[in-house]
Amino acid sequence: MPVESPMLHAVAVGSVDDGKSTLIGRLLYETGHLNADEIAHVEEASRKRGRKFLDLALLTDGLRAEREQGITIDVAYRSFDANGRRILLGDAPGHEQYTRNMVTAAAGADVAILLVDAKNGLTSQTRRHLAICAMLGVEDVIACVNKIDLVDYDEGRFTELADELIAASESVDGPRITAIPLSALEGINITERSDKLGWYSGPTVLEVLHDLDRLIAEEAFRMPVQWVTRHDEGGADVRALAGRITSGTVRVGDEVVALPGGKTSTVSAIDVLGESRDMASAPLSVALHLATDIDVSRGDVIAPVADPPQVATRVKATIAWLDETPLSAPARLEVRQSARLVPAIVEELHERLDLDAMKHEEADALEANDLGIATLMLAQPLAVQPYAVNREMGSLVLVDPGSNRTVGAVMVTEVLDS
Amino acid sequence: MSTLTELSTLDVLEAEAVHIIRECAAECERPVLLFSGGKDSIVLAHLATKAFAPAGLPFPLMHVDTGHNFPEVIEYRDWYVNEIDERLIVASVEDSIAQGRVQDETGPRASRNRLQTTTLLDAIAEHQFDACFGGARRDEERARAKERVFSHRDMFGQWDPRNQRPEPWSIYNTKLRKGEHFRVFPLSNWTEIDIWAYIQREGLSLPSIYFAHEREVFTRDGMLMAAADFVERLPGEDTFTETVRFRTVGDATCTACTLSTASTVEQVLAETRESDVSERGASRADDKTSEAAMEDRKRGGYF
Repeated sequence: MPVESPMLHAVAVGSVDDGKSTLIGRLLYETGHLNADEIAHVEEASRKRGRKFLDLALLTDGLRAEREQGITIDVAYRSFDANGRRILLGDAPGHEQYTRNMVTAAAGADVAILLVDAKNGLTSQTRRHLAICAMLGVEDVIACVNKIDLVDYDEGRFTELADELIAASESVDGPRITAIPLSALEGINITERSDKLGWYSGPTVLEVLHDLDRLIAEEAFRMPVQWVTRHDEGGADVRALAGRITSGTVRVGDEVVALPGGKTSTVSAIDVLGESRDMASAPLSVALHLATDIDVSRGDVIAPVADPPQVATRVKATIAWLDETPLSAPARLEVRQSARLVPAIVEELHERLDLDAMKHEEADALEANDLGIATLMLAQPLAVQPYAVNREMGSLVLVDPGSNRTVGAVMVTEVLDS
Repeated sequence: MSTLTELSTLDVLEAEAVHIIRECAAECERPVLLFSGGKDSIVLAHLATKAFAPAGLPFPLMHVDTGHNFPEVIEYRDWYVNEIDERLIVASVEDSIAQGRVQDETGPRASRNRLQTTTLLDAIAEHQFDACFGGARRDEERARAKERVFSHRDMFGQWDPRNQRPEPWSIYNTKLRKGEHFRVFPLSNWTEIDIWAYIQREGLSLPSIYFAHEREVFTRDGMLMAAADFVERLPGEDTFTETVRFRTVGDATCTACTLSTASTVEQVLAETRESDVSERGASRADDKTSEAAMEDRKRGGYF
């Protein structure tokens, strides 16, 4: 049975100065997640900078360099409750040079809060962020038409921008858009409505976050093995496979296969952190006991015999390049997927995505913050699926074995052999 | 046997923390769990035991002891380690002082809080630890809100907040050069209330100073500080007795207490939900020195 997720991963995105940090400050403030001393701190920091108002951006822009430059550099995470549902919100940087941090924050997000300046309208960065959300499979976007006070709370201007946003998302086959006119500064339509926008009858940001349907455990069962536990039980050596269920549900009696090896067995017991259960679903951490002692080690994926992922040594994928040193093919790197690390070669770079013109173009290299399509060859077979089919099985990270840096985020689009 | 029908926020946070702990234990050569006897590190140690049960922990615990801790906490620390039957390493700031690695501060504002960094980094080097589990949470402080789950430290123990490794989809890059290490934060996404709710759910015991008790205190910078032999008081800082509890447990020279009559986990939880002051705002004098006090200390290798 599908289970409603008690926790929602959200990310706030948009151009610089569209007011993301202010909105987050407001959300925390109005849901009671800001304490008196934190507000006093923001007041003092605002005064020091000659601000005549409470600059809530100073709350999440926590690093020295951010405060000095008045911009967000890295993702800040804050938690709050939307009428009983936990929201884990990442505040992603708007500057183009920090797009890689936006990719980090938006990967795995259920919903994006996209800020648009009512006066300036959509920017190339707005479209870029929409395209990245589309690529990362973010299903819902709350499009906040912010600073509505600066356009005299005009309904016509809001409708115009809402239509543009919907069209922009449709053009990239992107997420569902819920557009909301608001003023982060005045605190309108974040948790409270205002007479100034009497013409607006839709939901507030908090209402959307609370009401959004997010069911988990709908896909096929997958569990990457993190750790094989062994212990002595009355003289018998008992083995269990510890890991976190990344999708679906597993039940005692299920026929399962360990990939890429391909050995099969039956689930004989499920231990959910000390409690024996007859079934368990994502995203729980469990230890599975199998009826027979098959060869399984860290990095293997446990899946139903009836519905396994593919096993492949070549994949086609979208790469978000995160490193300052450009990527050009062929490149020897390492691929990390959940609990497995394998050497890989970026065989061929097919194209680069021009997010401003929304078109694909030929490219010899990917620069930092670029997105492109490439073929990867893997040194060992990997249990893998297209990202659009199963997020966890189709998401990879590229590591440079020379520098140890995380250089790319990868979404598999096509499994080339099996 | 029960069937899963509903999932709570705590279930998700617990599953995430266990995933991180198992990942680090599998990938790193010599991890250690930093254990202060404070509530966050107690929750962390409890999660670690659950992650590997019925087997024991594949790593030891380590306490950086300033020598200025509350005796109730040290007593609890030793009791707990004995209770879970695991190994504890104690790295002592007093040893660092005796060895001339650091110099004890003097005067009424003296604190060993800053000195801990050297002791910690020396212990990491001595034991060749390549990962230290910490109980820090993102809701505690602005700089922490920016920190990754697997937070890289260079050979000098330094954190470079402008150059952190991206962690998309909770995939952690655990590669290190020799001499470098990670600080790993399984409780990153927990809040103070989650910690108390989990302590309640799991029936964990805590050091007694987390609950209301009578104590000799004095007022400094608007906060109530515990009177102790090693804390020199300024003129006018007279002591008096109050019913108080501690919201955090750190070095006694810079950890303040709050007026409270909450004597059970349930009452503390209710009080925390009502509180209008953050945990660090209520109890940490060390964060008030500048706007970026925590970032600056973290850059240097602090917890």
